[in-house]
Amino acid sequence: MKRLATSWLLRSVALLAGVLAVSGLAMAGTRYVVTSDDSAFPFPAGVSFYTVATNGGLVFQQQVQTGGFGIGGGYFGMNRLAVLNRSDQPCVYSSEAATGDIVGIAINTLTVGGSARGSDTDGGTSNGIGLAINSNYLYASFSDSNTIGTFQVQSGCGLAFLHDTPVVGLHRGVINGMVIHGTMLIASYTDGTIESFDISGGTPLSNGDKQGSTATRTSQDATYANSIDITRDGHYAIFGDTSTALSVEVSDISSGQLAKTKIYQSRASISSSNILLSPDQTMLYVINTQGATVSALFFNKSTGKLTAGCTSGALRGQSVNYSYLAGAALINLTGNGGGVYVAEFGPASGIATLTLSVSDQKCSLKETSGSPVFDSNSPGLLSIGTYPTRSF
Amino acid sequence: MRWLSKGWFAIVVCGFAFLKPVAQNCPARPDSGTVVADPFSISSQNGVLSAKFSLGHSVDSAGYTHFCYNYQAGTETVEAPTLRLNPGDTLNLAIVDRIKNNESMKMNMEAPAGPTCGDGGAATVNSTNVHFHGMNVPPVCHQDDVINTLIQPGTPGFQYAVHIPATQPPGLYWYHPHVHGFTEFQVNGGAAGALIVEGMEKVRPEVAGLTERVFVIRQQYLVPWIPGPYLLTVNYQIAPFLGAARPIINMKPGERQFWRVANATLQDFLQLQVQVNGTLQPLEMIALDGYPLAQTRNQTTILVPPAGRAEFIVQAPASGGSAVFFSNMYDTGPTGNLDLSQSLATIQTTSNAASSPMPTATRPSAEGVKFFDFAQQPATTERQLYFSEEFGGTNGPIQFYITVDGQKQKVFEPNEAPVITTKVGAIEDWTIENRALETHAFHIHQIHFRVLEVDGKPVPNHDLRDTIEIPYWGGSGPYHSVKVRMDFSDPTTAGTFLFHCHILLHEDLGMMHKIQVMP
Repeated sequence: MKRLATSWLLRSVALLAGVLAVSGLAMAGTRYVVTSDDSAFPFPAGVSFYTVATNGGLVFQQQVQTGGFGIGGGYFGMNRLAVLNRSDQPCVYSSEAATGDIVGIAINTLTVGGSARGSDTDGGTSNGIGLAINSNYLYASFSDSNTIGTFQVQSGCGLAFLHDTPVVGLHRGVINGMVIHGTMLIASYTDGTIESFDISGGTPLSNGDKQGSTATRTSQDATYANSIDITRDGHYAIFGDTSTALSVEVSDISSGQLAKTKIYQSRASISSSNILLSPDQTMLYVINTQGATVSALFFNKSTGKLTAGCTSGALRGQSVNYSYLAGAALINLTGNGGGVYVAEFGPASGIATLTLSVSDQKCSLKETSGSPVFDSNSPGLLSIGTYPTRSF
Repeated sequence: MRWLSKGWFAIVVCGFAFLKPVAQNCPARPDSGTVVADPFSISSQNGVLSAKFSLGHSVDSAGYTHFCYNYQAGTETVEAPTLRLNPGDTLNLAIVDRIKNNESMKMNMEAPAGPTCGDGGAATVNSTNVHFHGMNVPPVCHQDDVINTLIQPGTPGFQYAVHIPATQPPGLYWYHPHVHGFTEFQVNGGAAGALIVEGMEKVRPEVAGLTERVFVIRQQYLVPWIPGPYLLTVNYQIAPFLGAARPIINMKPGERQFWRVANATLQDFLQLQVQVNGTLQPLEMIALDGYPLAQTRNQTTILVPPAGRAEFIVQAPASGGSAVFFSNMYDTGPTGNLDLSQSLATIQTTSNAASSPMPTATRPSAEGVKFFDFAQQPATTERQLYFSEEFGGTNGPIQFYITVDGQKQKVFEPNEAPVITTKVGAIEDWTIENRALETHAFHIHQIHFRVLEVDGKPVPNHDLRDTIEIPYWGGSGPYHSVKVRMDFSDPTTAGTFLFHCHILLHEDLGMMHKIQVMP
């Protein structure tokens, strides 16, 4: 009898798991690649969830519609996705630029848990709403109102709006990229300004270090910081620049403020609006927004120095399927990341997969044979992430 | 630049003001499927051509905004007549801006500092001026200055007095508005016309006695900066992609005609062909950009960048043949707009085709034409320039640059200092690279340049051009480039003028700078 009961129980669990898998409902521990489908009216916005097959290919599971509409475009360095990596409530938050709200999705159930709007004047219909998150607060950069909205994370993947912080670049620039490390939030603006904020009290308070990035001020190339990443120890902030060449800047933030940035530039490709550090911080992935390529630079986490690495060939489908490359997510959450998934923005948006090989301080990046996977629910894919996330 | 970016940019900057109907004051344009007539032309008499154009503005029943150069020919108002002058003539052209003031269009540009020419004030979509594209005339007020000249609506107007040099190359030129920030609007609406400097038969006697045809190919978007479907027109008659009746060009069976074709589109790179029963026909090229070729040459496809001109001899099929005037597809790169294949006109053979023969040559000679021998002169200066683009997002901010290598990339500002200073007498070699993922069209005002190299390799035909295409970068390998020789030896080049990309959106958004030629 006991054996029968155990067998029945096991079969029931297996059956339930199978049903959940078939129905797209998730189980805790499932690894996802997620995309923000910021679709413009009349197409519903949502978040698409992919799993990774044993051969490395992405397998679409389901789209969770978020109930509103996006704008299908906007700034490249502005991340429309924020993944809450909390074990008690893993969530994916996604902004809907046209509707003007932020929606939380419970990863365990792949259902919408809640949503929130900012103030009456907050808006992102021109170029989107960017997100950055820590375990307690979510920050939203509104490109119309030029504000940072502070939201408190609620149980069940909900949000509660707290208040707005008006911001502006030195030359009236609009807020663009944002990233959080500990109690520091760093933002970039469209006029080349960068600024850090203290978020120890929840609300962003400027650290008084607003400045034009070095590339913006001095470079021959017309350049401004767009996306941002920060090293695990919080020593360096790295900026991916929008530029007519590949341009990356590094700032020492160990003092608690942004120091003058140092520039790394190369004519290997065009623009570098999106960047991403590898988990072991030995590589910096650089998405060449207009160049249709992805580069990997060697990064020294002790000195903050970047050295030349490698650049992929042109990703398949440029011009025909996609116009620009945008956000990226890591293939592996350990080591050098093993490569990246890259958002391809265009009439047939897709997710490209590139694998990284490193040997003797040389590297190569290659697009996999099954790449790209078309993201049919996203007519204008810009933001991509993973659950779970990188550990810093 | 891509579809979504342009659309959003236009809407953000300008709203839908273009769609607001205003008073009708442009002439009706030809019906589709009718015989293409040459533009009405007016010729100089005793060394002078005097004319008055009234710049009008209206919206047609399909929602397309028209800007029009109205000319009163007796009791009839005609649009953008062809101006015909001889070397040494004077063009007295009065321009009156009669655009109905459109208050819904709030955007304006900073007025240039320093001396003004004309009415002055802020530049808006209602302001205008005229650029005599390709003409080797001085960049001064009342001639070919577009930096300081502004004509405003409702004022008495402005008088141009353009002295055509005695050495002006005979050929096809064109005129169009050139107000920074708004050129695309008015050219999109049709404000552009042909200007012919007579005497081609004296340099290229092959054309003597042939029937001459003048075709101005224009392009219209419903809303400038939103690509979507656009219309190409041939002498204002719509050339549809599919379906509706095409324009008709009449020729006598087997007849050789001298075609003078201006690419007055906003951004299309036209690959001109004539197909007879599906077979490409040899086109006997006579001139490019208003400059006679050193020798005629046969090609089956002639690439004409935006603002370029091609003059060539076409032979009609024998009676009953099916022929089309065609523009073949042109790939402008990942961030450019694909220029689609399409028929421009059906060539219909009929014994009743009208004829307007070119004069018979008397003393054919290319000597005495400007720039005839400057290729033999060594360059005094070499410069490197490059095109580049920067996209911060799909909807902008977007920056288009043309930069002198070593200088900071920046967009054109009306008050900027010249980025290049040279002096009368200089012979300069410019190497211009394209570091963008979109093909660009380089143009310099006031002079022709001689093409020396393409992609670092000498070219067999050192044509003189005023506009030239530089293909997009493919993402790896060397940039595409052209090396051209500029001749500033003529004292009439003294002054400050412009060089830029002639994709008009790029020009309006600042892919342009000043050069100053010191006396």
